[in-house]
Amino acid sequence: MIWHNIKVGFHRLGSPPVFHRLCQVVAPWLWLAAAICAAFGLFKALYLVPPDYQQSDSFRILYVHVPAAWQAMAGYLVMSVLAVIALVWRIRTTEIMAMMGAPIGAAFTAICLATGSIWGRPMWGTWWAWDARLTSMLVLLFVYLGIMGLYAAFEDKRKGARVACILILVGLVNIPIIHFSVEWWTTLHQGSTISFFGESSMDSSMMPPLIWMVIATKLMFGAALLDRSRNELVEQDRRKGWVRQKLGASA
Amino acid sequence: MIPEFEYAPYVWTSYGIFAIIVAWQVLQPLLKRRRLEAELREEQALEQGDYAHDTKT
Repeated sequence: MIWHNIKVGFHRLGSPPVFHRLCQVVAPWLWLAAAICAAFGLFKALYLVPPDYQQSDSFRILYVHVPAAWQAMAGYLVMSVLAVIALVWRIRTTEIMAMMGAPIGAAFTAICLATGSIWGRPMWGTWWAWDARLTSMLVLLFVYLGIMGLYAAFEDKRKGARVACILILVGLVNIPIIHFSVEWWTTLHQGSTISFFGESSMDSSMMPPLIWMVIATKLMFGAALLDRSRNELVEQDRRKGWVRQKLGASA
Repeated sequence: MIPEFEYAPYVWTSYGIFAIIVAWQVLQPLLKRRRLEAELREEQALEQGDYAHDTKT
C-alpha cells in the first residue's frame, strides 16, 4: 500500500501543475536551509578554524572551492539520472529538470575553477596549469555550456531536451576522469585529502565548516534547480489553461 | 569584525566570487519569473482587448 502511494505520488509529479506547486512550496525552504548552513559554515571557516601550518590563511579558500567542485560533479550525476529517466520514460518535467541543472552546474564549475586559480597563485606560483585535474574540470565547464547551447538551439524544446540528454550521458565519462585524475596522472593539484571510507589527511578541526558548506551547496543546487524548472515549465506551457488559471489566481 | 588574514586579497576574492555567483542563482529565477508573469499578463490583456491594461504595464 505504501509502495503504491509512493508510486502514484511519483507519477503525479509528472503533472505540470503538481510539479509547479511542488517547486513553489519546496524551493523557498531549501534556500532558507541553505542560507542557515552557509552562515554556520562561513562563520566557522572565517572565524573559528585556525590557519593551516603550511598554507596559512590561504587554505580557507578550500571552504568555497571544494564544496563547489563536489557540487559541480554531483550536479552532473543528478542530471545524468534525470536524463536517463527523461529518455526512457519521456517525462517532460524530468527533461526540464535535466536541462535546468546545466546552468547551475556550470556556475559551480566556474566557482571551482576561479577559486582554484586564485588559490593556485600564492601556493603554486601560477594562476593556471594544464594538469589533468584542472583541464578535466575545464572540460566539465565546456560540457555544461554545450548542453545549454544545444538545448537553446532547438525551437522544439522537447526535441532539444532529448538531444541534450544524450550529450549529458556522453559527457558522463568525464566525471570519473576528474575524480581519478590525481591518481592516474602526476598533477600539480594535490591528491584526495578527504576520504569518506578511509582516514582523511585533513585535521578533524578543519572538517565541520566543510561539512556545513557541502550541505549548503547541495541545498542551493536543489533550490535553484526547482526555481529554474518552475520558470521553464511556465514558459513552455504559457498558452495552456493551468498557467492562465494560476496567473489569474495570483493577480 | 572582519578577520585579518595572511593572503587576504586571495581569500576575500574567492569568497566574493562565491557570493556573487550564488546570489545570481537566487536572483536570476526571480527576475525571470517577474518578466514572464508581466509578459503573460500583457498577452492575456491583449487577447481580452484590454489595451488600457497593456499600456499600464
